[in-house]
Amino acid sequence: MPYFDYKNFIPKSVAWFVAALLILLPLFTRNSITLSIFISSGVWAIAVMGFTLILRTGQFSMGQAAFMALGAYATAIFTLQSGIPFWPGFLLAGIVSGIIALLIGLVVLRVGGIYFSIITLALAEIIRIIAERWESVTHGVRGLRPPLPPTISLGGLEINFATSAIPYYYFMIILVVITGIVFWRLEHSRIGGTFSSMAANQILAEHQGIHLMKYRVIAFTVAGIFAGYAGAYYASFLSIITPQMFGLWQSIQIMMMSIVGGISSIVSGALIGATILYTLSIYLSRLPIYNIQYLLFGAAVVLVLLFLPKGTGLVDLWGKFWRKVFREPEEYEIPEDSEMATE
Amino acid sequence: MTLLELNGVTKFFGKLAALEEIDLTVDEGEVVGIVGPNGSGKTTLINVISGYYRPTSGTVFFNGDKISGLRPDQIASRGIVRTFQSNVLFEGATVLESMLIGSFLQYKTTDWQSFLETKTYKDDHERVVGKVIELLKQFEIFNDIFLPAAGLSHGYQRMLGIAMALIANPKVLLLDEPTTGMNHQEAMFVVENIKKIGEQGITVILIEHNMKVLLNIATRVVVLNFGNKIAEGKPQEVMSKPEVIDAYLGTETI
Repeated sequence: MPYFDYKNFIPKSVAWFVAALLILLPLFTRNSITLSIFISSGVWAIAVMGFTLILRTGQFSMGQAAFMALGAYATAIFTLQSGIPFWPGFLLAGIVSGIIALLIGLVVLRVGGIYFSIITLALAEIIRIIAERWESVTHGVRGLRPPLPPTISLGGLEINFATSAIPYYYFMIILVVITGIVFWRLEHSRIGGTFSSMAANQILAEHQGIHLMKYRVIAFTVAGIFAGYAGAYYASFLSIITPQMFGLWQSIQIMMMSIVGGISSIVSGALIGATILYTLSIYLSRLPIYNIQYLLFGAAVVLVLLFLPKGTGLVDLWGKFWRKVFREPEEYEIPEDSEMATE
Repeated sequence: MTLLELNGVTKFFGKLAALEEIDLTVDEGEVVGIVGPNGSGKTTLINVISGYYRPTSGTVFFNGDKISGLRPDQIASRGIVRTFQSNVLFEGATVLESMLIGSFLQYKTTDWQSFLETKTYKDDHERVVGKVIELLKQFEIFNDIFLPAAGLSHGYQRMLGIAMALIANPKVLLLDEPTTGMNHQEAMFVVENIKKIGEQGITVILIEHNMKVLLNIATRVVVLNFGNKIAEGKPQEVMSKPEVIDAYLGTETI
């Protein structure tokens, strides 16, 4: 699913407005559920960006959530068992998941296409089973309780992660911004063009001098690194990590968020898709019918694929709406033969 | 100076020998035409040189280095770039996008410089865009740069193919039937451009059925039949050899 339209569909003014709103959000609401939804959406958005990046190289990873598990377990195990403080332990999350992604990538990315998808699916299951069975380290299905980030004192300001969700909220924003900048640059630099060319025609790209393996591994590793941070942060926020938290369903959820949000813009597509689908899943799970959210999720994906095909997703829908209403007066030009034109 | 050297190159598909013990040397600045009936191994030869196939036995040397066994991208980055027999395009890309995402080898800056968007990268990018526009103008597809490449007519798609090969900075250009499906005028336009390419010092190897084209531009012609090289030499001489006429031209004369 190659996509070449590098235009930014979200106008700067709207983007700044939304950003300001998000930064000021804790002033309006102390409701921990609202904050929690935003924190979780941000975390999933980071994983979704990785998925979309891999998709841009023409590969379909079905095990993105496993890298979240790797990062989460890495932080938890390092801090709990080796006594490393939280922040260095958190830093290790991405390094561990990145290295493992690199090693896996070097082996499995030799095969592309459907084989790659199936291998990533299998690997994700293997990682989940290891987390379940390696009781001495991971505590099996009971899971681990990752430590909280320590309280930070900034001047007179006490930032306590234990008593409020607000520090988690702001740190999530920092994490999303850093990730967003990296993915934005990857998308809009020559590397993004290289990815697109591989997706558009692998054989031609190779004959134009592109080392397919190298760029696939770069995408897979970068996605792995940031998924690791997302997972570690999520586990710390929920203060629990179990093998089921990052299983097959979560990988599928990442896929759906990416497709619903749209792959035409890695960062905004992921943010829109993750926020909408995560919020939906929370509110839908309150419906009296058991597991109805899965059914409706599926319906959402089918609708998006039917009406917004070729990976355009909701980002483009928004872009079209915006341009229609505010940007394209030429669409409403008066025909020459109309009465108004002759007046 | 010998630029490209094929040494006993053999390619088997199962038990079928598509190429048998081909020896060929190409000097710098030559325009070598490869002719032969359908199924004689012309495209296989180009596929072996460009790294798409590995030869079953034999070696290909480029500038004295062995290149057979390398990946297509390694061979392309050494300076052997090809076009395809059918129109191979970047799916969904416009003409300009095809050229830009195909210009990987034209850049002198690294991925890091591009990621960090340094001044050097911006200058480099500007130079690449300039080069792209120059090539698109040379092949007269500049007016269509915002059209989907798939929407171009057959002839223009072939021009785009050649332009895309040229943006990859070739020392040797392999053209697989550049004038197929073109009328005389279009074919002559391609011929003029191949001449220009040759004048720029780029060595050209082209597969071509059109004898008029070959007589016009080729400095040397190689004739293949059933995977064997049956003749080699100046176009005029080769075309008058009885075995060539027999194998390739049938009873017709030129």
